[in-house]
Amino acid sequence: MNAMTDTIRFENVSKFYGEVLGVNRITLTMSPGITTLVGPNGSGKTTLMNLMTGLVQPSRGTVSVLGLKPSNATEFFCNVGYCAQFDSFPRGLTGFQFVLDSLMLFGMSEEDAHGLAAEALERVQLDAAAAHRNIAGYSKGMRQKIRLAQAIAHHPRVLVLDEPLNGLDPMARAESLSLFQELGRQGMHVVISSHILDEVDRISDRVVLITGGYLIAQGNIHEVRQEVRDKPMQLLIRCDKPDLLASKMFAVNHCVEARLHADGGGIFLRTGDVDQFYRILNEIAIEGAVKIEAVAPFDDNANAIYQYLIGSDGSTA
Amino acid sequence: MSVFQHDYRPYEGPTTALWTRPLVLARYGLAEAWGSKITVGLAVLALLPCIVDLVLMYLANNPAAKMLVVGGSKVLEINERFFFGVLETQCWFALVLAAWIAPRLVSFDLGDNALPILLSHPVSRFGYVLGKFIALTLSLSYVTWIPLLILFVYQSYASPVPWAMGHLGIAFGLFAGAAVWIVVLSLIGLAVSSWVKWRVIATGAMFAVIFVPAGIGGIASAILRTKWGLLLNVPVVMSELWQRLIGAPDVFRGKVDLPNAAIVGVLIAASLMCIAVLNARIRAREVVRG
Repeated sequence: MNAMTDTIRFENVSKFYGEVLGVNRITLTMSPGITTLVGPNGSGKTTLMNLMTGLVQPSRGTVSVLGLKPSNATEFFCNVGYCAQFDSFPRGLTGFQFVLDSLMLFGMSEEDAHGLAAEALERVQLDAAAAHRNIAGYSKGMRQKIRLAQAIAHHPRVLVLDEPLNGLDPMARAESLSLFQELGRQGMHVVISSHILDEVDRISDRVVLITGGYLIAQGNIHEVRQEVRDKPMQLLIRCDKPDLLASKMFAVNHCVEARLHADGGGIFLRTGDVDQFYRILNEIAIEGAVKIEAVAPFDDNANAIYQYLIGSDGSTA
Repeated sequence: MSVFQHDYRPYEGPTTALWTRPLVLARYGLAEAWGSKITVGLAVLALLPCIVDLVLMYLANNPAAKMLVVGGSKVLEINERFFFGVLETQCWFALVLAAWIAPRLVSFDLGDNALPILLSHPVSRFGYVLGKFIALTLSLSYVTWIPLLILFVYQSYASPVPWAMGHLGIAFGLFAGAAVWIVVLSLIGLAVSSWVKWRVIATGAMFAVIFVPAGIGGIASAILRTKWGLLLNVPVVMSELWQRLIGAPDVFRGKVDLPNAAIVGVLIAASLMCIAVLNARIRAREVVRG
């Protein structure tokens, strides 16, 4: 499998809805694994997803998914599973019928479709009794699960999930995240847009930050954080003498902020030069004046990157 | 980056031919349409005139019964005029049925925002409309050309003299007249339903689309003293077409006399307008930006 047939590619893609900008000049390559699209409402996340699912065509540029173009409908759509953000279904169907219809639209025989539908429902942990009830009577979490089942039932290689965690209780969220992780690990492309950054942060292999239709940043979260050089990096250092450590660190001029941890067993330090910071921290550790237990970056997560690059709190976007 | 094991296996089993996919939508469209008791009620109601017609045909072909009931009057002649009346009745029942069914097929999908899910399958917008179109035309067939041809077959069987071969034109007229009407009606029904998301309003809009232009056309004809305004009058246009296809006597006694080309032209124009509306409205796009 070559790089072209194993990636999702946007090449200078723009999408305009009349005079309204959807996305502009997006050049992006997504490898297998979990990619999270992050951006405020109206930033173009759904447009990006609609483009990669072939639901809308780009005004300019080209989109290819695993080397396939949406014009090659049969192959393209069979490789893509889409879970829309809207809580909407064709009316009057049971959960099982919904997944079954979907599979038959993908061209599976009725016999195969029955097997695949049952497998998908098991995978999203929707019990058989519930699956044979009308969707109209489902809770929000069950509706989310049945949408997810529909998206994965035909074994696509690309799974596009628009706000898949909305409406799920913590347990169902954990189950869904674990399923995404498993699919990502198996080599599937899982593209997620979510406002629940803390949770997707744990499973994402890379983030794509988008605002106002423009791509702001993309890549591994830690790499993206390191690229944001104008925002001093915050680190949490667990140690026995945080006040002493703070005084030593402030002796160097790139350390700009220190804040004691609430339990007194650590300190948050903000530095403008992380490489230099780590070098000095090593020296302090070797001196032995401060016993350092743990060092961890505190703001190289999707939420922090979102705040730095887009400027508002990701959790409410 | 995670280490990807690449052990995920996409589905590699056999798939059905692409052209069969709209049939899945048609199948579920039919289930959706006929899942309503009102649909069943309307269909039963639409078949009542056929039963009356069947009785009339029995009477007309049974000299003893005819003598007993109508005293041998020529009122009960089974001819082109009789079948024209039957066709007209069934076709207007078809309008009522279409006004009820079409919004169930399309307005629900649009109102529920279900199109993005459906169109993220290997089904094009054309395939989606085709599936719904098939469901609607099959439903309307049930109250139009199918019972009409059954009546024709019954008359052929019941007639004491050889009848069918001499009247094949009627059978053709019944089928063609009903087919043209259900195609036009289905396109209007789907277009109106795609434009108006609320089912009840879409049902009302179906009647408005048929009868409001008729009123406007009538006013235009009266003011301008021309017959061309009647081209907007779908009931008149269709009556003219049906009468000519069956070969029945002129129902308007020469007062309308629209050229065949004008009738065909207006039906094609109406169909094209409906297709343009469907093209504009049946879109997978969920939101402009988000």
